Amino acid sequence: MVPEIETEASSPILEVRNLTVTFGSFTAVDGISFSLHEGQTLAVVGESGSGKSVTALSIMRLVELGTRGRIESGEILYRGANGEVTDLVQESEDAMRQVRGNQISMIFQEPLTSLNPVYTVGDQVAEAVMLHQRLGRREAKGRALEMMRQVRIPDPDQRMGQYPHEMSGGMRQRVMIAMALSCDPRVLIADEPTTALDVTIQAQILGLMRDLQRTRSAAVMIITHDMGVVAEVADQVVVMNQGQVVEAGSVFDIFEDPKEPYTRALLAAVPRLGSMAGRSDPAPFDLVAP
Amino acid sequence: MFFRNKAAVAGLFLLLGVILMTFLGPYVYDEDPKDIVARPLKGPGTEDVPGLGTDYLGRDVLAGVVNGGLTSLRVAAIAAALIVMIGVTIGAVSGFYGGVIDNALMRFTEVFQVLPALLFAMVVVALFGPSPWKVSIAIGLVLWPQLARLTRAEFLRLKNMEFVKAAQAIGSSDLRIIMRVILPNALPPLIVATTLVMGGAILLEAGLAFLGLGDANEVSWGLMIGQNRTNFITSWWTVTFPGLAIFVTVLSFSLIGDGLQDAFNPKLRGR
Amino acid sequence: MKRFAIRMLWSIGLVLAVIFLNFSLIHLAPGDPATVIAGESGAGDPAVIEQIRADYGLDRSFVAQLASYVVRVAQGDLGDSFFFNQSVVSLIWARLWPTILLVATALIFAIVVGVLVGIFTARRPESRLSHSATILALAGYSMPVFWTGLMLVILFASVFKVLPISGMRDVQFDGGLLASWVDIGEHLILPAFTLGFLFLAQYSRLARASMLEVLQSDFVRTARSKGLSERVVVYKHALRNAVIPVVTVAGLQFGTMLSGAILVETVFNWPGLGRLAFDAVLRRDAPVLLGVLLVSTLLVIVVNLLTDVVYRIIDPRIRVGSAAA
Repeated sequence: MVPEIETEASSPILEVRNLTVTFGSFTAVDGISFSLHEGQTLAVVGESGSGKSVTALSIMRLVELGTRGRIESGEILYRGANGEVTDLVQESEDAMRQVRGNQISMIFQEPLTSLNPVYTVGDQVAEAVMLHQRLGRREAKGRALEMMRQVRIPDPDQRMGQYPHEMSGGMRQRVMIAMALSCDPRVLIADEPTTALDVTIQAQILGLMRDLQRTRSAAVMIITHDMGVVAEVADQVVVMNQGQVVEAGSVFDIFEDPKEPYTRALLAAVPRLGSMAGRSDPAPFDLVAP
Repeated sequence: MFFRNKAAVAGLFLLLGVILMTFLGPYVYDEDPKDIVARPLKGPGTEDVPGLGTDYLGRDVLAGVVNGGLTSLRVAAIAAALIVMIGVTIGAVSGFYGGVIDNALMRFTEVFQVLPALLFAMVVVALFGPSPWKVSIAIGLVLWPQLARLTRAEFLRLKNMEFVKAAQAIGSSDLRIIMRVILPNALPPLIVATTLVMGGAILLEAGLAFLGLGDANEVSWGLMIGQNRTNFITSWWTVTFPGLAIFVTVLSFSLIGDGLQDAFNPKLRGR
Repeated sequence: MKRFAIRMLWSIGLVLAVIFLNFSLIHLAPGDPATVIAGESGAGDPAVIEQIRADYGLDRSFVAQLASYVVRVAQGDLGDSFFFNQSVVSLIWARLWPTILLVATALIFAIVVGVLVGIFTARRPESRLSHSATILALAGYSMPVFWTGLMLVILFASVFKVLPISGMRDVQFDGGLLASWVDIGEHLILPAFTLGFLFLAQYSRLARASMLEVLQSDFVRTARSKGLSERVVVYKHALRNAVIPVVTVAGLQFGTMLSGAILVETVFNWPGLGRLAFDAVLRRDAPVLLGVLLVSTLLVIVVNLLTDVVYRIIDPRIRVGSAAA
């Protein structure tokens, strides 16, 4: 693939073409395509097992480390800062390590288990900066402190020296965001970032992510099964089911005029305000057809 | 699932081999291990010398190996039975009742846990005499704590589960719940632990025999090694073969225990 | 701090329990307690028996005897050995350091090599080297440690004559301090290896299982997602977590290691507590045996406390005084 220099305005920062990922004989992702643009939030929606997380891990080329996943075919085209487009599927592991945490970052669902319990939070946030930006220990710590402030962690000085188990779930997720954004990545992938959090905290975290994205004009890909989250943060939506893209479009199109029955079923699964009005017992929900 | 694990099956065959040798061997190879059959310290392959050579008194090493297993296995089996009885009882009561009883029993267990096993067994045998029963008891006294702790852990884990509450709700007595409801569910790790304890008991018995604290009248592998210590460098066969027998026996238990653990707990197999 | 103080108090209680156990053993053993204490050497001499009766107050009540026994032990008097013609304490003191040296070396060897092998076999579970390591590990803790020792002695006495196979020092040694340490070191190699090999097997399997589990954890995935090299992921992030169970088990097994040391010291003629115990057993020398039992148990208790401290240093989750925000 000859690297093409494309103009920023029209071309996507990340484009997935016909990606197929397998685990042994099981096909988790079956020829999907979508694209992500700068300053945009793309939501990848689907039930558990639809292949959304596998897609995210594949973009980072993490799906092959530690599991039996294999990227069978397809391209993941990433447009770097200099305008050059490279296919991440073809990149060497060394090259990918330059990308991870640096140009493309990821945050995960379970903030407690996603942070190393034996090192301080400050150390872990500073680590990526020390690696990618070659800062010395003290400067890296300074940057980490700055990031902790940006994610609105109260009393960041004191928190830097704390361990993950000493913090609440919401606080830990802020730390993860700080860690992911510390090297100013151009793409942030968030895999179910609020699923493990209380609803009130959920709103705070989503708000934080929205604000941070605006100031950095990064591209955000958020994976979720919750249409409520989609409504709140997404610009574009990709609906996945059993490894395939069922429907894609802007968030308005998807919500106003869903074309596919599966999309409609997902939307129907979100309780509507007022749907229980006038009843003394809760009404059962319609089950989403498989 | 156990049978798919090659090593475990190998262990099973090894154990069967050892048992066959111990119980049938003396009839097949008919020599008395205490008989002096040839000149002392002659190696295998020398003229007029039986299969594996002779020891420092001129006794048949092969006969010793074939017959030595009985003592070791018998002592170990009795010790293991004691260990299971004491350990499981204390662990079950401790785990089931909790509170003060648990505390007290665990403190008691700790006293036996800090005693170095062989050393304590040595003291007991030195003071009370080396009859096989006493050796079994000594070994039993030192190794029960680990089984107690394991049983207790399992009981703590299981006692809050639904099926236990159900049994309590229909008025089952405590004893019944412990023995018929919880214990059967706690069996898998206990079985694994017991196989490993058997191996440990055999090693401990061999160690005691080696140090001269076993029953001096019965042939045992550890005793053979201990008795031939003075010339073993030149007469390697006197210690190598008995030791090999101990090794194979314990290995078979380890392999079986490992296989059982694998079968009960597939996560640990890794990729 | 308070928890530590409680542990210390309980440990003292344990020691008292062991002293009580010793006392009970003397009295439960068949025969007259005085004869038991005198052992084979002293039992023949009526004067000695009389002396023992007086010293230990064997005519008094059980409780009085127990009290006086505890007091004696607390003052550091563990009795006398009639065979060696020395106080038990002086005998033990002379042999204590060689045993500690042996066991410490074996422990460090077993943990370090065990963990390294564990890491290797966890990262490449299918390689032939891994399979061999696993089999060797299994064999290692199925071998009677005294047999392993004897085999090694045969090997190094007749085939590779490069290492000394007996004792702690060269009998004709005649050099300075540094050379003396080298000499001891040379003599230490085989016995420490023999003792360590037994546990190496176990620790490498434990480290492997632990490492495999840790490598599947979420925070390892996070570390990789930051672009860290696999080397850093394994040795910085995974290792410290994976090593926790190994350290815990190693600490808990110190007693077993002391037991193994008895056999190893006997095979290699290493002048430590184990050898002393063996000699005492041959002579039915109760005071020495019980003294060694007490001191060994004390060592085990101390090591248990130390393990707790080390565990807390490695794993911040169980440090006192921390709470989730």
